[in-house]
Amino acid sequence: MSESSYFPPRRSILRKPSWAARLESSFFVLLRVATYGVLLAAAAIFIDIGWKGGRVVFQAAPPFINVPFLTQAPETLNVFTLDGQTVKMGDRDFRAYKAANPEKLRDVHVSTYVYSAGGIFPNIVGTVLLVLGSMVIALALGVCSAVYLSEYAKDGPFIRLLRLSIANLAGVPSIVFGLFGFGLFVVAFDWNVSLIAGWFTLAFMVLPIIITASEEALRAVPKGLREGSLALGATKFQTIRTNVLPYALPGILTSSVLAIARVAGETAPIMFTAAYVVRDQMPWQVEQWTDFFFQGVMALPYHIYVVASKIPQNDYTSDVQYGTAFVFLFTVAAIALAAILLRARMRKKYRW
Amino acid sequence: MATDTAQAPSASHSVRKQLLGPHKFRLFGRNRDWWIKLFFEGNAAISIVVLLLIVFTLFREAAGFIPGNRQNLEVYRRAGLEYVDILRRQTEDYAALGRQLSATRLAWSEHLRAQGLPQAEITARLDAIDTLDTRLADAIGTHQEILSEMIDHASSVKERVKVGHDMAEVRQNLLSGIPGATPEHAAELQTQADAVVIEEVDYATEINVLTNRFPEIQAANRNLTGELGEIAAALPQADDRAIARQLSHLADALRDFRKSIPERESEFVRWRADRPVSFFESLNAFAFGRDWITASFWQDWYGVLPLFFGSVFISLISLAIAIPLGICAALYVNQVAPPGEQRLIKPYIEFISAIPSVVLGFFGIAVLGETLRQVSQVEWLSWIPGFPMQERLNAFTAAALLALMAIPTIFTLAEDALQNVPRALREASLALGATRMQTMLRITLPAALSGITAAVLLGFGRVIGETMVVLLCAGNRIAVPDFTAGLGVAFQPVHTMTGIVAQEMGEVVRGSLHYRALFMVGCLLFLLSLGINYGAQKIVRHYRLPQS
Repeated sequence: MSESSYFPPRRSILRKPSWAARLESSFFVLLRVATYGVLLAAAAIFIDIGWKGGRVVFQAAPPFINVPFLTQAPETLNVFTLDGQTVKMGDRDFRAYKAANPEKLRDVHVSTYVYSAGGIFPNIVGTVLLVLGSMVIALALGVCSAVYLSEYAKDGPFIRLLRLSIANLAGVPSIVFGLFGFGLFVVAFDWNVSLIAGWFTLAFMVLPIIITASEEALRAVPKGLREGSLALGATKFQTIRTNVLPYALPGILTSSVLAIARVAGETAPIMFTAAYVVRDQMPWQVEQWTDFFFQGVMALPYHIYVVASKIPQNDYTSDVQYGTAFVFLFTVAAIALAAILLRARMRKKYRW
Repeated sequence: MATDTAQAPSASHSVRKQLLGPHKFRLFGRNRDWWIKLFFEGNAAISIVVLLLIVFTLFREAAGFIPGNRQNLEVYRRAGLEYVDILRRQTEDYAALGRQLSATRLAWSEHLRAQGLPQAEITARLDAIDTLDTRLADAIGTHQEILSEMIDHASSVKERVKVGHDMAEVRQNLLSGIPGATPEHAAELQTQADAVVIEEVDYATEINVLTNRFPEIQAANRNLTGELGEIAAALPQADDRAIARQLSHLADALRDFRKSIPERESEFVRWRADRPVSFFESLNAFAFGRDWITASFWQDWYGVLPLFFGSVFISLISLAIAIPLGICAALYVNQVAPPGEQRLIKPYIEFISAIPSVVLGFFGIAVLGETLRQVSQVEWLSWIPGFPMQERLNAFTAAALLALMAIPTIFTLAEDALQNVPRALREASLALGATRMQTMLRITLPAALSGITAAVLLGFGRVIGETMVVLLCAGNRIAVPDFTAGLGVAFQPVHTMTGIVAQEMGEVVRGSLHYRALFMVGCLLFLLSLGINYGAQKIVRHYRLPQS
């Protein structure tokens, strides 16, 4: 972009700008307004959730972070009036309190609000587990596919079919992946609603992204590195292992970070394959180690969906809604931001 | 590149053989490199396998739908529910007349009140129309009595048929356990199976109970025809022009209904209980059915049309927002903005695409829907069609958020397309004295049009496949949008294909007709996305500019 006069040059004050020049500058202003309108709309979302959710997650007094919200499981909130004061209590506290002084609560009307107390710790854990597992699967499959595409493949019907499949896989709606995962893993393989069903569903969903990104990174490695290695008598695989993959790896990983943001952010594929509305045990509380893979988990995006639309709305639910949305949005945004920044740096650093 | 590097190993092979001796590793006559290559090749083939598995799974689960729905429709016909529905439609259409009359009365009374007349005077003036209202309601009484008795009968027949089917299934399950069971157990199963009573419903006699009511219906219709004629003749006159127009519309509607009565009667006569339900009728009921009614006591309908319309409708609204904004932003960033601004805006817009859809949906519920409704209630905006909005969550709320999801896709691809326009074209135009705006609009934009079209198509694919935003914000009312409302149709709540799958999949019985219907919707979505993708690739390949 070497044309430096991005805006029409300022005319001298003696001459009135021509009609064409005025039209042009107003056209450019229109473009600018449209662009900044989009940016502002997105900023509005970040600010709204950042402000209202930030008040739930952070607090003015030390330790400045609402630790219980991040370390406890969701609970039912009990609200009642006692001695003229409104008391809010999580379910566990409420039961303890009731056991301690039963006569005090005899004639008190208690209203309950599901999921409005406690925190979102199991949801965070569930999301992390889902992301880790699916990324391991997707990276293993995706990088190997990309190695084939960039190092071995010769043009032919198989490669054309392969590229067509990858391009089409990228366009399949996420809910269709959800249906597929449900039909294949949950029903046909009889894995039930489980971590492993969610892993495979999510992994297949991001596979095209990982393949495309990895192939780009592999192709960016200069040909000379390969030829040098081959000329010294290394086999094809030795060349790939020692002279191609190590140099492509940073590129592969940075591009995959964007895929992490995608995996973490999707709700539709895990709705029927991996996510539970509520579960009392933590994922590691299993009897046998194999059960670990075949248990459903609570996940942040699904929790947002549940608290935003499935339960009755009132003043008390808005806290947990905004708190969860805050944690979720800013985690995903941080991952995406890291990906974008890393990629920008990579492009500067590895320019052969 | 791949071709010439692939030559290298075979060339070095003979050298290695001489220098280092032959490779030790051999399996089925193949060396290690061959196996490694096969490993990578197999990995790459997984994409194809996954695509095939998706096709296989979706179609396998959906396959039972057409025969299942055929059976569903067959029971509907055999048990006479279809016959009853002819009468039901008549009473429903009639109820619409009543609503029209009430609306006219309301408009009239408001008009009179606006003239400042006292309440007693208004009541007196509307007395004639009130009498007609009562008469209109009374005239259908006989029909309603017949209808409710017929409904009771038909639904009891259907219930018996259903119980019969269930019992047959129970028996089948018991019998299927016999092979492979121990002799005693098998005998026990056999006796249990024999004990299952399967009632064979005699459709002919049951249908006769219904069709025997036809003379009664005819008599009621004769009565109704007379009444309608009198009511239409007795409609009062109004001096205000708007009210008079409404009254004449009402008179027309009454007359039309009166004329339609013989046609409705002939429908009863033409109806045959034993007409078979064809494969295409079953498919049509899905593809062109206007009702999606599930878990109903009367009859379940799985018509995808309202959902399909809802999905396409929302997508079109959101594209109407996203295309201008996305392309303007691409033009601005690529052609106008200084490099510093460019470096900031591009990642920012890409960053927008990382906002999880469920968060956008939540934002729509919590903030955008309410804000839009408050805006729509502002007095000086009431000229906009559809304002003030009836519902907080509607097609527009969802579409506005979806537009924000589509903009990054459209922006990124359109910006790429603009970037790929050869410099020479632009420079030639500028050198000929065109302004920068002229160059942009007449040279750069048309040259990049194929890429931009592909960008729009992919944006469309992204929007139509999006689930959480429409599930949370579209209002979820299953009805074909009422396009008679003009542009205000954008503010009606709709339901979508993705939304219905997400909403109902968790609650259906596995293997039921409803479950298969949802997979049918999934198949439709899948095929739609394949078509969109294919179209986008075709456009890009077909109209590719020669690169300089």
